[in-house]
Amino acid sequence: MPRQPVPDGRHADTYGRHTEPAARPPNAGWHADPVDPRYGETPRKPTTRRRAPIPVKILVAGGFGVGKTTTVGAISEIAPLTTEAEMTTASIGIDDLHAGSTKTTTTVAMDFGCVTIDGSLKLYLFGTPGQSRFGFMWDDLARGALGALVVVDSARLDECHFAIDYFERANIPFVVGVNAFDGRLAHDINAVRWALAVNDQVPVVRFDARQRLSVRDAILVVLDRALDRALRERGG
Amino acid sequence: MIPGRDEEPEPPSGNRIRPYLQAPVTEPDAAEPTGEDPSAALRPFVLTAGRVVGVDPAIGLETQVTARDGPPQRSLPAGAPELHAIVALCAAPMSVAEISARLRMHLGVTRVLVGDLRATGHLDVHTLDVADPRDPETIRRVIRGLRAIS
Repeated sequence: MPRQPVPDGRHADTYGRHTEPAARPPNAGWHADPVDPRYGETPRKPTTRRRAPIPVKILVAGGFGVGKTTTVGAISEIAPLTTEAEMTTASIGIDDLHAGSTKTTTTVAMDFGCVTIDGSLKLYLFGTPGQSRFGFMWDDLARGALGALVVVDSARLDECHFAIDYFERANIPFVVGVNAFDGRLAHDINAVRWALAVNDQVPVVRFDARQRLSVRDAILVVLDRALDRALRERGG
Repeated sequence: MIPGRDEEPEPPSGNRIRPYLQAPVTEPDAAEPTGEDPSAALRPFVLTAGRVVGVDPAIGLETQVTARDGPPQRSLPAGAPELHAIVALCAAPMSVAEISARLRMHLGVTRVLVGDLRATGHLDVHTLDVADPRDPETIRRVIRGLRAIS
């Protein structure tokens, strides 16, 4: 097949636009090698089909009302969206944050947002319920996750224990982010670390879920942990 | 043809189940004036003919989906606006979670339907394109990208 130049400078035959999907090797279809310099700042046409960014995801876990959605919303380039998954057990009377709470349905809602890293890489942040009775869906959520930020309210630490247990067992890099409501903490960071009994290698950071840069920095700590693990595993 | 349609349990015969277990499960809620379409809770399960298993486990929340160019192997049924909506939405790359959220469909239902539409040739599901979370270069790219945020 002759090489047909296309507007963004790539060639139809190389990138499979005019070939059947089955004809391409796995994982080499609509996007180039991640280190391909041609993918630097090339603007993407929104109507372009068949090429999709590589998704990566980070989980934002925590109990009800600790600020997961605020955290996601602070850094997401879109307003957080909500998706619902079926829950197999009823939670009537358990999730009540306040009188009149209507969280008695059999679905669990996950708020999520995204950040476009570059033309071929997109970061998704999924806010996930922290309670153990949602455990059945965690394996699904965690598959392929780079890491997790466990958001805790320093006045209500008990709601994050399942999340911490889960990430420890699943060997998923995680960081405990203590959401500093109103700039104050009910307990200092060391007390939180002691109360949660997390490993010394697990960072416990203070952040403000409403502040974009504060959330970004907390996520960067997660990524730092993820990079550590990745390098360790590559090294031996 | 949608498999599993013939697996619907038979309606209770009326004599073998204790009366309180026969209480209708949907009607009390449906009778409430909730302001929402009362069929909304039921409809997704009808769409998948009750199927909740058999989904490709590689179809994750973040998996990217795009509409496929060229003629599909078969046309979409006219009576399935949800399927048309999914294909229309995927003109631009879309994650499974976004499809679920934007079309207000349960996540499990979305995964089933996306798998169906891949099978019928309407969608490309980029399940092989999920980045390896243990690839240091991918993580470095995410770090660089986030640091650029201000």
